[in-house]
Amino acid sequence: MRAAWVNGTGAVTPLGRTWRETCDALAAGRCAIAPIASFDASGFPSRHAAEIDRDFSETDRRTALALDAAREAWAAAGLDRQPPDPLNVGVFIGAESGRLPFYTLAALARAGGPGPALDHGRFSREAESRARDLDSRLVSPAVVAARLARELGARGSVATVSLACASGAAAIAEASRAVRQGECEVALAGGVGADVDPLMLAGFGLLGALSASGMSRPFDRRRDGFVLGEGAGMVVLSCKRGVARVAGIGRTLDAWSLTAPAPDGSGSLRAMRLALAEAGLESVDVVQAHGTSTPLNDAIEARAIREALGESLPSSHVSSIKGALGHTIAAAGALGFIAAVEAVVTGTVLPTAGLAEPDRDCALPHVVGRALSRRVDSAMVNSFAFGGANCTLVVTRE
Amino acid sequence: MSAPVAIVGAGAVSAFGIGWRGLGEAVAAGHLQPRESVLLRESHPGTLASEVPEIPAVLDAGNARARKLMSRAARLAAIAMREALVDAGFAERREEIGAWMGVGASGIAMEDVPAIVSASFVDGGLSLHRLGDQGLMACNPLFTFQTLNNFSLCHGAILEGLGGPNAAFFSRGSGTAVALAEALHALREGDCDRAIAGGADTALHPVTWAELRRDGFSAQGLVPGEGAAVLALARGASSRALGLLESCTAIAGAQAGTTPVSRELELLPLPRRADLVVIAPWGSPARAWLGDVAVTRYAGAAIVDVSLRLGDSLAATPALAWVAALDLLRPGERAVVLTLDVDGDLTVAAFRKESP
Repeated sequence: MRAAWVNGTGAVTPLGRTWRETCDALAAGRCAIAPIASFDASGFPSRHAAEIDRDFSETDRRTALALDAAREAWAAAGLDRQPPDPLNVGVFIGAESGRLPFYTLAALARAGGPGPALDHGRFSREAESRARDLDSRLVSPAVVAARLARELGARGSVATVSLACASGAAAIAEASRAVRQGECEVALAGGVGADVDPLMLAGFGLLGALSASGMSRPFDRRRDGFVLGEGAGMVVLSCKRGVARVAGIGRTLDAWSLTAPAPDGSGSLRAMRLALAEAGLESVDVVQAHGTSTPLNDAIEARAIREALGESLPSSHVSSIKGALGHTIAAAGALGFIAAVEAVVTGTVLPTAGLAEPDRDCALPHVVGRALSRRVDSAMVNSFAFGGANCTLVVTRE
Repeated sequence: MSAPVAIVGAGAVSAFGIGWRGLGEAVAAGHLQPRESVLLRESHPGTLASEVPEIPAVLDAGNARARKLMSRAARLAAIAMREALVDAGFAERREEIGAWMGVGASGIAMEDVPAIVSASFVDGGLSLHRLGDQGLMACNPLFTFQTLNNFSLCHGAILEGLGGPNAAFFSRGSGTAVALAEALHALREGDCDRAIAGGADTALHPVTWAELRRDGFSAQGLVPGEGAAVLALARGASSRALGLLESCTAIAGAQAGTTPVSRELELLPLPRRADLVVIAPWGSPARAWLGDVAVTRYAGAAIVDVSLRLGDSLAATPALAWVAALDLLRPGERAVVLTLDVDGDLTVAAFRKESP
């Protein structure tokens, strides 16, 4: 069986236009979370997010972010100078539905009448003319992968994974499989999230998942929910020896609840154990945790990490970049993966921003303050999604 | 040599109701014409559609509370998943069963949007401040559950206790074939010994249908449909096998449907021989193109067009075509299923049934 190697990485986040800029800022302990500036969020229960302060020429913000990150990863892999055979290039992207500009949606809803009840007849008569504004390029999850494939001239497999918060990690898992099995020689994989908008703030707010304090504090005793973020993380994988290897993949379903993890952490624990077993490891040097800053999830994940690593836990280092970047939903797993690759390649173990008072229920060998520098041979990345889908990836130096 | 992957069960919900056995025969026999849609009656009266008939309470997904959290597609998926698991006899160790689904994005109930918008207006204008306050209060607190695409997979997984490797692929057709291909790879690699794979969706959502109309698909013969279908798969040959899954490929971004068949045939990874060809084209141009492929490549094979009876149900379309093919497959035969979706993406799946 061939191996899937990481040949290049790229990222666009609120802390940097490239992964290098982002990494340097994360390593210094900077945090991107601030009051929402892109729309009036003053009435919402949660008013903070990690936003990228840029406008893009692309109509769809997801596509714009993904394109920048993909170009960086592609160049880092040297493929801009030596392009591969297009028929052997696959594209695997984690993405959720895009958001219509809220005013467009409001106008569409108004086509159904002025009151709180939908007038279907009126909707039928009026919505289609207003639907001219309803551009499917702004909504379909698949447009991102299609646009990236066009940009790279890729003619191989093109897939869009819509697995909520685990989308990016699951896309990398699918790409690794495709490379290992020879389905494609080169794969662009990753995830993108651009969900800092009124509807998502409303939706996650209704679930009670967002931080009222506006702070992302993974594993901290004061944590009170997650903060939305936006960004994109992309990697280039191939069978050609690269900087790190995708050594293990574990994917499970909790089969428990739509919004809460299984209380015993069994689903996430199985994912970690499967990934470690495939990598042939019982321990790892670094864990890039899902670490969303929600009270329940962090405690359950911490317990599952302790069980998964057992006696080797004290020699590992655990952190979550969501403390600094917020929760980027479909991009989260991909950005976490890139942080894990960084640890393996440069020995930089990024800290958990916002973590100052570790919760006793979340007892782990946390990295706080600034980044650590040490030799790292292996790293594990967790991604857990609403709906109960779990994806754990293990990357190694060899 | 890859391990064989057997199809050991199936489930389906379609315009013919609940159940996959007999679906292919009914389609081939030309039973059932598209009828006026009930779901679109108020917004688009008179629309002919292939709509799932009323679901008997005893066969419905979950309980009333669970169904409140479900989109239409998630509900149909859960019913098809349950049938496939029972049909396959997958009663034990369900936490090991993998699940791969093609899912659409026709989730949110339209009735919920005006409520949140109405509560957010001040002096005739939309106020985001009001939206964050009164708008949220007016909103159905469950609406988020209907909007996340992966919930079409996760509702069914939770109800049925599935805990194995998994993924949900966004699909208007081809993503569903990616789901089946990934299940096939996972079984061959030994990630799991048993899995389900399929798709669920509805084109009978007012916004989805408005968009398809605006983009000209209805004018070119697309009949909106809905449904869900799931195959239950097992690693290795099985005495329970309904057939063997040989291959499944999605060719996204292909020029399929816009270039001459003679040119495309050279490039397409089509199986050499087929006794049965099941096609699922979204509308008239796709029907002509796929029919041409079937006749040119598989002279003498029986050809069945499932979309004439089942319409186009986006992410569910390939999966419904697969179960129809499975129903029609006879011992010693190979079936090739070809679908062409509204994005111009082609899917190719091949099934074989061993001679006794």
